[in-house]
Amino acid sequence: MSLLRIFFSSAVFSFRAQFSWLYPPMWLAMKFAMSLSSMAFFVFVGHFLITTGNAPTSLVAYIAIGNAMTMLSWNTVFSVINITSHDKWDGTLPLLLVTPAHRLPLFVGRAMIHVFDGMLSVAISFVYAVFLFGVNFENADILALIVVVFLTAFAMAGFGLLIGGFSFYFRNPLVFANIFTFILLVFCGVNFPVQDLPQPLQIVSYIFPLTYGLDAGRRTIAGATLTEVAPLLGQMLIVGFISIIFGYILFRSFEHMARKTGRIEAV
Amino acid sequence: MPKTLRVLYSAFRMAMLHWIADPQWVIPNVIAPFIYTFVALTLFKEARGPFGLYAVLGGGMMGMWGNTLYSSGFAIEFEKWQGTLEEVLAAPSNLLHVIAGKSISNALFGLTNMVAILLIASLVFRVPLGVANPILFAFSIILTLLSVSALGLIFASAFVLTRSAQVFTNGLETPIYIISGSMFPIALLPFWVHPVSYILGPTWGIEAIRIIAGQESVSLTFWLNIGVMLFITLAYVAIAAFLFKKVETKSRRDGTLVQA
Repeated sequence: MSLLRIFFSSAVFSFRAQFSWLYPPMWLAMKFAMSLSSMAFFVFVGHFLITTGNAPTSLVAYIAIGNAMTMLSWNTVFSVINITSHDKWDGTLPLLLVTPAHRLPLFVGRAMIHVFDGMLSVAISFVYAVFLFGVNFENADILALIVVVFLTAFAMAGFGLLIGGFSFYFRNPLVFANIFTFILLVFCGVNFPVQDLPQPLQIVSYIFPLTYGLDAGRRTIAGATLTEVAPLLGQMLIVGFISIIFGYILFRSFEHMARKTGRIEAV
Repeated sequence: MPKTLRVLYSAFRMAMLHWIADPQWVIPNVIAPFIYTFVALTLFKEARGPFGLYAVLGGGMMGMWGNTLYSSGFAIEFEKWQGTLEEVLAAPSNLLHVIAGKSISNALFGLTNMVAILLIASLVFRVPLGVANPILFAFSIILTLLSVSALGLIFASAFVLTRSAQVFTNGLETPIYIISGSMFPIALLPFWVHPVSYILGPTWGIEAIRIIAGQESVSLTFWLNIGVMLFITLAYVAIAAFLFKKVETKSRRDGTLVQA
């Protein structure tokens, strides 16, 4: 019971903390604006290729779906890594580290509401994809798609926790939040297939849960059932769990180092 | 040195010193334009046409804008964090000149993005990057840089009054990339967006840069783009001066600037 309480309070406080610098109406407005702008930028780049006869019209759907699902990264990667930044800037890190609370639910809990927040961003983006860019969802198994998005968000949160744990060692985790949110656009098959990357980079793609999630999402929208995408989801969850474990190890080793050196916020 | 220039130079120098002292802050500003350009170059890889040029020059313009917007958003925020905002306001120097110096410095830093993109485009993507008229090319880039900085000033004046500057900074970055047609012709945008595109200096700047990169002889269209951009830039400066005056007066009267 105590572990569950720590998990939920960590989840709630980590999410609520962002409203210390972000007004809720602003949070909502940004959710609608950012979902559209990043998708629109790449869709217009795709249109440029289509109108000059350099790409098939299906490129628009590919890009729109890719960017819609990548909106997860703002919540599950950027925001989750940024929890570390704010713990350092707001001076709450020492308080967190002196609590007797079990570290695992404390660590994992902080990403959990961002999973659902990310799903909301994806839902908004899918609405834009359908009504503004004409993406066809007629064959989509909506229930399967919801499951795919949820599991992708969860696995991505694991990845966010990993980078968050890693960036504890650095003075400015915001830098890592930016880098790891944006490089997903290159590696995960968001705007072009992973196979278009040079061979050595393709291996890197499969360390990101989003690569599997995007593949599963596109297949589900095209009509695949949950059973058909289950192997992809399984691989993604393995990557997600490994990320959480490594992130937790990094978090604990940081804590140990911080206690030993007394440089909690500065390392 | 005239007083205005001295203030501009001092603010420019301080911003440069801040970057050098803490270079990690460069990354959040240049990462988005860099990645966007990398993605565009990958998409354009097999395409026939002026795509490489669009990607590289657009990426450079995006780098300038990303950095300028970021600096506009944080120009006041950083002073608040460091507890120096009161001193900056109490100094007899015009706040607009202080922010302008910082803004130009940061737009210039954004050009490093263009250099990185040029290198990757030529070494990895083998994009041919010959510039037909290097002198006018450099001239167009400098004017675009000033135009981007002037646009940043308008945003900076609004950012003085809000606690959400950081959020606006994230939210306004990509829309300007889209509306100014940094990576594709604005003709592809819906017609109702065009008026907004035309009041953005960078729209005309990037068009002038593309023209002069591709042709040695100087066309009337090039000068037309430069002329319109200059006119818009001057209008930005006038609007920013007016807004800064208003905002500064309001802040002094209400006494809430540091808490805003």
